[in-house]
Amino acid sequence: MSTVDMRVRVGALELRNPVMTASGTFGSGREYADFVDLSRLGAVVTKGVSFEPWAGNPSPRIVETPSGMLNSIGLQNPGVEAFCAGDLPWLAQRDVPVIVNVVGHRADEYAAVAERLDSEQAVHALEVNISCPNVDAGGMAFGTTCPAAADVVRSVRAVTSKTLIVKLSPNVTDVTEIARAVEAEGADAVSLINTLLGMVIDTRTFKPVLPRGVGGLSGPAVRPVAVRMVWQVAQAVSIPVIGMGGITCANDAAEFMLAGASAVAVGTANFIDPTTTVGVAEGLERFCAARGIGRVTDLVGAAWKKQ
Amino acid sequence: MCTEVPTPAIEPVVVVSNERVAEGVSRIVLDAPRTAGAVEPGQFVHLRISRHADFILRRPFSVHRARDGRIEILYQVVGLGTRALEDAVRDDVMDVIGPLGHGWRVPDGTKRALVVAGGLGAAPMGMLVERLAERGIEVTLAQGAPSAGRLLARELFDNLCSRAIVATDDGSAGLCGFVTVLSAEQLGRDRPDVVYVCGPEPMQRIVADQCAGAGVPCQVSLERLMGCGIGACLSCVVTTRNGLKRACVDGPVFDAADVVWDADGGQEGGR
Repeated sequence: MSTVDMRVRVGALELRNPVMTASGTFGSGREYADFVDLSRLGAVVTKGVSFEPWAGNPSPRIVETPSGMLNSIGLQNPGVEAFCAGDLPWLAQRDVPVIVNVVGHRADEYAAVAERLDSEQAVHALEVNISCPNVDAGGMAFGTTCPAAADVVRSVRAVTSKTLIVKLSPNVTDVTEIARAVEAEGADAVSLINTLLGMVIDTRTFKPVLPRGVGGLSGPAVRPVAVRMVWQVAQAVSIPVIGMGGITCANDAAEFMLAGASAVAVGTANFIDPTTTVGVAEGLERFCAARGIGRVTDLVGAAWKKQ
Repeated sequence: MCTEVPTPAIEPVVVVSNERVAEGVSRIVLDAPRTAGAVEPGQFVHLRISRHADFILRRPFSVHRARDGRIEILYQVVGLGTRALEDAVRDDVMDVIGPLGHGWRVPDGTKRALVVAGGLGAAPMGMLVERLAERGIEVTLAQGAPSAGRLLARELFDNLCSRAIVATDDGSAGLCGFVTVLSAEQLGRDRPDVVYVCGPEPMQRIVADQCAGAGVPCQVSLERLMGCGIGACLSCVVTTRNGLKRACVDGPVFDAADVVWDADGGQEGGR
């Protein structure tokens, strides 16, 4: 009934629509199967996968904040072998591109995970996570300086021919510098934003609520920051940008695309309504149809592109 | 109860009533036919209280009772979410994801059960006691609260339990002291086949230790801050002898013998 062309490209990947899941908020997709027909999504982005199993952080791991939440999960995951033996075969049976989020403490650990996944047919793309604020070594430490970011991307690029997405941290002075640095090392796309560093202090105990003190802020509260950063990065690089940060509905997604995102991801909103992703995809199509927009890609960067 | 867990779903629910039932504790009754028909004792629902507030997350609540297409939730006002819940009036619309989690299990051959509830820990015991009574199992309830006015669901428990004994911190009802004194006495007196515990975590641990000492199987219902409620976000982990488990899908009810308690008397990483 609708004639809107919803397909978008990210590197070598063609997605049936621009709506993906944000890493860490959707498990491996399996947890949401009672609520979401995964074949209606542009892609599933899995939780972070490391080489060895990671135990994650002590509890409490989340705390609610105005229009958002802080998390300090710490990338708990069973490691790449367990992922390939458990979640991946299940995902492979689903009609949806699979993007695996890759984490490590050192550049060679990222490369080891990427190399292991490179041989897996069911993996369509890798998202290199250099922006998690909740681990002491690795994660965001790589995403906040250009040389470190470049180093990780170079190591991963050397061992994989799959589409390589790099997830950027907003906790930097100039996100466009990092984006350019990873583009120069062969990244096929960048995704942003990961969570913003935040803290909540319990006024009864006089201590931070989260055991590590800091956590990553997500949810609608971060959306204007994320839209601004997508706007900046989309004009600074020539690779596709995947926009995320507080998307709860199609209108929010459209905002990111107008800022320059070629695709979007839904994160924290999955916790509020597990069907959000499909709702955003359908709503985005209606959004375009109602405005006589024939291709969803026409939205990309329309807020700043000269007509 | 049964090993087969009903598929959870999102269900719009309508408020039927919302009233104080004890000091500081209210009961909200929700019209929720699907959930009410599917929920097992000890399972919970993830309630979206308001779509327009600046708190965004759902809140997990154990189902106290489920009958006639309705579910009952007992809650205490502790923060933004429960404060908003207290303001809800008849015909307000919310939604739940449920039923969720693994509830209480009744071991084969159970003839006698001891149910130990501290404070709001009485909430997940309503359906449990009903189920045990249905099966002709003899139930002793040991219930604790700060004072007589904060003892919950007295009528239900008195009707269905062969014995209901209470302890209050101020001595305004029953024994003056902790419910763990009652549980120790009961374990020594009529050895139950299984013990069910819910309440503050230090109390759960004490009862778990008593049961371990007496060689009686014990199940505990643990509470955690939850994100998704469906196993994806890993916010609500519980440390067990078999590694980290998720309270939302692997629990909230755990075999006490599997739980790794920390030195403070609670669960490792618990609050």
